[in-house]
Amino acid sequence: MNPPNPTAVAEAPPETPPRRPLRLPRDRHAIVDSFFRFQSLFGLVAVFLIAIAVSPVRNGENVFLSSGNLANIVRAVSEIGIIAVGMTFVILIGGIDLSVGAVLGLAAVGSATLMVNSGLGILPTVLIVLFIGTAFGATQGAIVARLGIQSFIVTLAGLQAARGIARMWSGGLGIPIAYGDGPQEAPEAFSLLSGSINGVLPVPAVLFLAIGVGALLVLRSTAFARHVYAIGGNEKAARLSGVPVRRVRITVFAISGLLAALAGIIHAGQLNQGSPNDGAGYELDAIAAVVIGGTSLAGGSGSMGGTIAGALLLGILNNILALNNIDANVQLVVKGLVIVAAAALQKLRPRIA
Amino acid sequence: MTKGPLVRMTGIGKRFGGVHACRDIDLTVTAGEVHALLGENGAGKSTLINILSGVITEYDGTIEVDGRTVAFGGPADAQRAGIATIHQELDLVAGLSIAENMFLGREPRTRLGTVDTRRMRRQAAEHLRTLGADLDPRRLVGSLRVGEQQLVEIGRALSLDARVLIMDEPTAALADAEVDRLFATIAELRRAGVGIVYISHRMAEIEVVADRVTVLRNGGVAGTVDPRTASRDEIIQLMVGRSVDALYGEGRNEPGDVLLDVRGLAVTPRRPTPGRTEPAGVDLTVRSGEIVGLAGLMGAGRTELLETLFGAGGAGRRSGAVTIDGRPYRPRGPRSALARGVAFVPEDRRGAGLMLEHSVTDNVVLSALSSLTALGVVRRTAVRRTVAEQLRALAVKAASPAVAAATLSGGNQQKIVFAKQLLTRPRLLLLDEPTRGVDIGAKAEIYRLLHRLADTGMAILLASSELPELLSLCDRVVVLHRGRTVATLPRASATQQAILAAANGDDAKEAR
Repeated sequence: MNPPNPTAVAEAPPETPPRRPLRLPRDRHAIVDSFFRFQSLFGLVAVFLIAIAVSPVRNGENVFLSSGNLANIVRAVSEIGIIAVGMTFVILIGGIDLSVGAVLGLAAVGSATLMVNSGLGILPTVLIVLFIGTAFGATQGAIVARLGIQSFIVTLAGLQAARGIARMWSGGLGIPIAYGDGPQEAPEAFSLLSGSINGVLPVPAVLFLAIGVGALLVLRSTAFARHVYAIGGNEKAARLSGVPVRRVRITVFAISGLLAALAGIIHAGQLNQGSPNDGAGYELDAIAAVVIGGTSLAGGSGSMGGTIAGALLLGILNNILALNNIDANVQLVVKGLVIVAAAALQKLRPRIA
Repeated sequence: MTKGPLVRMTGIGKRFGGVHACRDIDLTVTAGEVHALLGENGAGKSTLINILSGVITEYDGTIEVDGRTVAFGGPADAQRAGIATIHQELDLVAGLSIAENMFLGREPRTRLGTVDTRRMRRQAAEHLRTLGADLDPRRLVGSLRVGEQQLVEIGRALSLDARVLIMDEPTAALADAEVDRLFATIAELRRAGVGIVYISHRMAEIEVVADRVTVLRNGGVAGTVDPRTASRDEIIQLMVGRSVDALYGEGRNEPGDVLLDVRGLAVTPRRPTPGRTEPAGVDLTVRSGEIVGLAGLMGAGRTELLETLFGAGGAGRRSGAVTIDGRPYRPRGPRSALARGVAFVPEDRRGAGLMLEHSVTDNVVLSALSSLTALGVVRRTAVRRTVAEQLRALAVKAASPAVAAATLSGGNQQKIVFAKQLLTRPRLLLLDEPTRGVDIGAKAEIYRLLHRLADTGMAILLASSELPELLSLCDRVVVLHRGRTVATLPRASATQQAILAAANGDDAKEAR
């Protein structure tokens, strides 16, 4: 049952009681292989330790390790992280979704408009916006599946379309969200999205982790996930094996659209506004997180745990560079290097035994 | 080049592991001669050709070109020595023009170092003229029909000054008119003093084009004859020999009721694909507990028929009547076929049967996931147990169910594909060349498995190019020719001669 998936390794064969990671690897190859399987986790730990080491110290306190800073990190990565979770499904079937950043913008605009201008409550707003994102993704998936056009092209077109719709909807301007009970005001509760639980855990981070863990379980245990991996591994074999290839394709893009829309709602809640230009370039950060997480762009192999670790790794990297007052442009270069390094490590991974 | 053969191969032998692919083969090719090479699959034709074309560089025996002994270090050496090969799968770049393809990698240059397009086109046009082909060298290869593409390949060989041309099943993908054109080209080449090694299964063709026929059997030369004097029966006799092994096991129970009934099945493809022969009038029945063989030459439409029956064929309009258990059967896709109890083991194991990088377990359970899940969640214990059972039942040799399918041998990979399909509990099993590329031991196991399955009442429809396999395994053999059923031979009257005659039968009438 195991895909090349770090989390699934924990499963033990029936006759051998010790769980697999704990059993002595039979040979050096197994050790090497488990390193590559957990590459992003190792990377995450390494970056974390480096961050502690190079963090500035203020009043005897390690700034990086301060709870405020750590909360900032998870808050900052949550939107990209949620998008990256959806992106992982898409990339696992050998596709790509370039439209997610634009769908985020559309969702942010939608949230603001529906609450402020249309006076809708939170629940209807959220449901409508999530529905729009899901439908948008499913439509792209249907075009990919039915017409056989590459997803890169379809979602590139989708990116343009979503931006255009967002601009038309908002009149091209950001829509500020004011809270209160009056007209042109959004319900106070929506601002919870920018808050924290117990003043420590940011709400968006909780949502990200919940979704990440949920997706991780889905990818580990469901027949749907087997189908996803199978399509990415060999679409023809999957089809001949009775995998409903089209349906799975459409579902996967729908998931990506749904999660992008959710990220858009969070975005609006955090910034107290919805702008049609929100989320520009987020698709690339999400893809970066997936790639750093060790998922193959060719499809068929990868893991959700890797993606979550990849997103966190990127967040920590940005944070520690900023803490040390390193120029934002240098940050971009470092990010580029990390992506290449992660991909290069995957290339070094020994082929099948 | 004046006297003696262009190429003389003496005592050629090649072993793969313990298996002799070629044994002590002598072959000569003289200028202006078409030397046909005949033999069943596995007779050693490809190995011999690969040795001559420099693909295989280690072998026993010697090759002389123009009387000088040569040792090719690779295909490029062979090409330099004037030996060119036209593979069945053409090696052309669809997005480049005819001229660009002909001179790919050795484009003529101008003094400035840019590609001398004019010269390239002129020379390409000359070669095409030599071949009697009226094609504009600027046309994209992708826009050409297969027969025309083949001419481009031959033109490329000419531009390389090839004096020996190896043609591997050149007519397999050609329409009739294109075959005529190819034969005209071959006549032209022969006049120009090119020696041709011509591989084909089609007797009628060989009678038309070949000057000499060498028949290979079991890796050795069974005989060399003149097709103008030797009868077709003689040649078939040479190909087939007398060997029928105990490999295949014994006869079985009485078959049960008719499970699959196909009447006049034909498919008109929405977009005709060159090289595909869609069903064009297939009649056959398979009873439960029965193994029915599908015989036919390359391009007879066996694979396409199986794909159609599995709902995996190309899009198109279907006519005729197909029933399973007397109820109409019209699968919309593999999924609905599986739901009706029809399973399919495709010919292209690596490309269509397996996810090579995924584990044995993942591959085995893929088709039967719905029976191994609860509320969409895969039941791991059930999966583990099922996979272990299947691997044991089929005697799969794998280090563990967690290793990638790619690490297994061909025979074991095939068993994985079987295991996957059998887990769906099919009542009708469609098999396309189930023992291709499988070693002899695994072959015997697969035969035993098929007998066992038939004994449980499964209906099996099996396409194979290996006649001994069909004869000893099948209760009946249905022979296809150009997508049509041309003969249905019960076990008692099915002989290799009869099958080959039927498979070639219409060829003879169409032969020019």
